[in-house]
Amino acid sequence: MEGVIVLLVQLSVPVLLLLIGLVVGTTTERLHLASREREFAGMSVTDIRTFGPGADPSKHAALVSGEAVIATDYLKSFLAGFRKILGGELRSYRSLMGRARREALMRLLAEARRKGFNAVCNVRYETADIGGFTGKRGAVMVECFAYGTAYRLETRDSQ
Amino acid sequence: MILVNTETIPGMRIVELKGIVQGNTVRAKHLGRDIAASFKNIVGGELKGYTELLTEARREALERMLAQAEQLGANAVLNLRFSTSAVTQGAAELYAYGTAAVVEPE
Repeated sequence: MEGVIVLLVQLSVPVLLLLIGLVVGTTTERLHLASREREFAGMSVTDIRTFGPGADPSKHAALVSGEAVIATDYLKSFLAGFRKILGGELRSYRSLMGRARREALMRLLAEARRKGFNAVCNVRYETADIGGFTGKRGAVMVECFAYGTAYRLETRDSQ
Repeated sequence: MILVNTETIPGMRIVELKGIVQGNTVRAKHLGRDIAASFKNIVGGELKGYTELLTEARREALERMLAQAEQLGANAVLNLRFSTSAVTQGAAELYAYGTAAVVEPE
């Protein structure tokens, strides 16, 4: 009888962690980006090395950047642990990477807008490893950095 | 100082190229942030401490690069690139490089 109770107590901790991961993880992910992405829908964003036609020469172009470090939740790393035995796509980590990139780009666009630009070209993504992947007991996290050149594009009504 | 990661600047003409300028920094994360991060690993979400750490480190690399450009008498850095490399566990090198140039309005 005592053995059963001990086993239940030992099991309840990871199960609780899994539940917390599921509930909090999915809600934050959903709330995170969708609304803010719509906000920047009107901006021209390219990863082409040259400026788009109609670049306004009166306002100097400037470097803008955005950065995000995002940790995974307990459920995702648990599922990924299973997946690593079987091989194949780690879908839970794929969405994590995607989220970090989107978040970094959002911040880049926010900086561009704050500085009075309406277009960004030559956007590049970069990741930094500060121990997330190599640290065995460290947090599973992804770091993403986006940078690009912001410039002013003449809009149709100003031409 | 004009900073861009493109090869040209609209409305500006390159007068003189001054060569490659670069700046780097190697940063380690600290234990307090690690503990906070391990809690965050249960619920997921952004690790603000690490984001700030990296932003700060990149700014420092950029500033070292700019100091070099200024010393050469440039007023712009073109084709700027960022790069990172893992030096040892828990530390990363952040590196910024670009071409210093003198530009003037067309």
